Amino acid sequence: MDNTRVSETSSSTLPVNKERENKWPTSSQLPQPTLLETLAVWTTGYRPDPVRELQEKSYYDYPALKAPVWSWEIIWYFFMGGLAGGCYVLATIASLFGAKEDRIVARVGYYASLLALLPCPPLLIKDLGQPKKFLNMMRVFKVKSPMSMGVWGLLTFSMFSALTAVIQAARDGLLGKWWGAKLLARLPQRALAVPGSIFAIFLSGYTGVLLAATSIAVWSRSRMLGALFVSSAFSTSTALISCILRIVGAPVKTLHKLERIEWVNMLIELVNLLAFLRITGRAARALVGTGPREKGPTFWSMMFGSGLVLPWLLQTWLLFKKQPVSPRKKKRGGLGLIVSLLVLLGGYFLRKTVVEAGHVSSADARTSLWNARR
Amino acid sequence: MLEQRGRESVSSIAQGVKQLPQLLTLLHKETPPPEEPALGFFTDTSLCIGCKACEIACKQWNQLPAATPDWSGTSYDNTQHLGATTWRHVQFIEQIERRIPAGTGQSAQQTSSTLPKLSLFQPMDSAEAIPATPPGTALPFFNSDRWLMHSDVCKHCANAPCQEACPTGAIIHTEYDTVYVQQDICNGCGYCVVACPFGVIARDTGGDGQAHKCTLCYDRLKDGMKPACAKACPTESIQFGEVQELKKNAQERLGLLQEHGVSEASLYGADDKILEGGLHSFFLLLDEPEVYNLPANPARPSNHVLPTSLGTIITALLMGLMSIFFFSNKE
Ligand code: SF4
Ligand code: SF4
Repeated sequence: MDNTRVSETSSSTLPVNKERENKWPTSSQLPQPTLLETLAVWTTGYRPDPVRELQEKSYYDYPALKAPVWSWEIIWYFFMGGLAGGCYVLATIASLFGAKEDRIVARVGYYASLLALLPCPPLLIKDLGQPKKFLNMMRVFKVKSPMSMGVWGLLTFSMFSALTAVIQAARDGLLGKWWGAKLLARLPQRALAVPGSIFAIFLSGYTGVLLAATSIAVWSRSRMLGALFVSSAFSTSTALISCILRIVGAPVKTLHKLERIEWVNMLIELVNLLAFLRITGRAARALVGTGPREKGPTFWSMMFGSGLVLPWLLQTWLLFKKQPVSPRKKKRGGLGLIVSLLVLLGGYFLRKTVVEAGHVSSADARTSLWNARR
Repeated sequence: MLEQRGRESVSSIAQGVKQLPQLLTLLHKETPPPEEPALGFFTDTSLCIGCKACEIACKQWNQLPAATPDWSGTSYDNTQHLGATTWRHVQFIEQIERRIPAGTGQSAQQTSSTLPKLSLFQPMDSAEAIPATPPGTALPFFNSDRWLMHSDVCKHCANAPCQEACPTGAIIHTEYDTVYVQQDICNGCGYCVVACPFGVIARDTGGDGQAHKCTLCYDRLKDGMKPACAKACPTESIQFGEVQELKKNAQERLGLLQEHGVSEASLYGADDKILEGGLHSFFLLLDEPEVYNLPANPARPSNHVLPTSLGTIITALLMGLMSIFFFSNKE
């Protein structure tokens, strides 16, 4: 920045420069830290110091990195892909380890997984600069490139998800009573679901690895984004399944199990998120800061507050409240429905704010260069 | 624009399927041309006069459109950065008042009481040797103000993050070990854009939607010519040749400069440190890399894949085990 200043004599003749100078904050003029600002400082462990940061060198503060070209398509893809993978894993666990009444989780989970998966390929293709060349993605198999691996993983998982859901449909009698449906119903769904789950976990987590394997400071610095995304994928899928079950009605016992899983998942997500912010440190300002372009306000209110901490507290309260458990009873609605919806909302806003923070981070030359000093 | 893309993408799926036979021919692997010695650039910023001949020569040879004029208001550099249609870019770094002139110390302090304390005045070794002159009257030869010119370009990294990221295999190392984007393959996924630690490669959003950057004039190299920028440079600030030889020249030039008292000169990317293999297009700088918006020691993005994946797997296992526990738990 110091390079950009004009000499004193000429600055008085240049009103533009005068104005700009006056806008710079001095330490005494800084407003009192707000609640969000305090949270940002606590979680990242970095206290912004505009005066010192302005002294860091850069080329007229022009971005040192190119901005990502990704926008809403990729945000929805990350969210839906996470749901598709997570629902599949939960359904498999329910069918392998659950009691008899938990089968409904498997059924709903497999259908939800396929439904969430359907919009993914179109979203990904639309996101390309040359959508008609999307098949070129299948020219190579590149272990070093998470995007290449992602394409193959998505393809493989789609087959597993489709087959599992079709078997489920055949067993549920949705495909009619002809011989083909009977044959499908007899296929070993569980044996299929185990390898399928591995690809499901891959799909819910690789998106974080994809963002981490870039040069964008907020995405890559902590190497934690994969863990954060996979934990969000699990908590949003648990929320989605329990949300559906609460709408169609399900055994109280099953719902109770889901509630506890949701509680643990949210806790793990919270821990991952805090670790992510702390390790990312200064680079996380793009996500949690409250500066002009920083994503803090949306992040704290929509994601952290109402999308994670609030539902977790509600869930804790619900779990501690004594509930009369009559094993045969079915249940609908309830406060749990709101908890699930909040978690889903939080999961969407996590993807949205993280992707958008990447844009902000890439524009911040001084933080990018600081990140590369190592 | 976006809507148009959306409609395109719907019909594109059908088109993509129709493309299949052509794609199969793309799968066919041609035998690569025999390896040649690595070629690259040595950009010596101490010689650059900021004439922008390289920028224009590049645009002319590669038939790149002119940038839309946009006054930056910060310096004579209105191009501001490399881009999809700007593959050489000359930076103008104006370092005015790098030391405190004796006469103006007072007034400088006064203004700084209302301003953040920026180190406008960097002390220089020679500060004492130069007699103070009344402000604004110093002749260019006697003050320490300077303009640094720097012709920026793709670094043609030995381990290029853009190449490692590219999921289509569009980006390759050629037989000259330069980094090249095959335009018939690239589908504009944009992963290389965020992978490049130098902010070089960009997607041509207004144009064909694909990724573009310096080709090191691959077409000219094939015909035994030097790249257009190196040919046009009137001061030999851009030198082209075999990387090994260029690195030797660079060391010599650095030694010469330091002998003449230019102690701040340094080489950027000439050793094997940056990205674990060095840059085939490297620079001689007269200040810290950050002054030129160059990252001092960027991480190699592909190194993040393994640790991040590990964290992902551990979290997934933990959550899976918890779910198994709660599902099999019979109260
Ligand atoms: S500088 Fe960027 S675009 Fe050029 S080879 Fe290196 S990573 Fe690729
Ligand atoms: S935009 Fe093109 S060159 Fe860049 S990573 Fe994607 S396919 Fe490869």
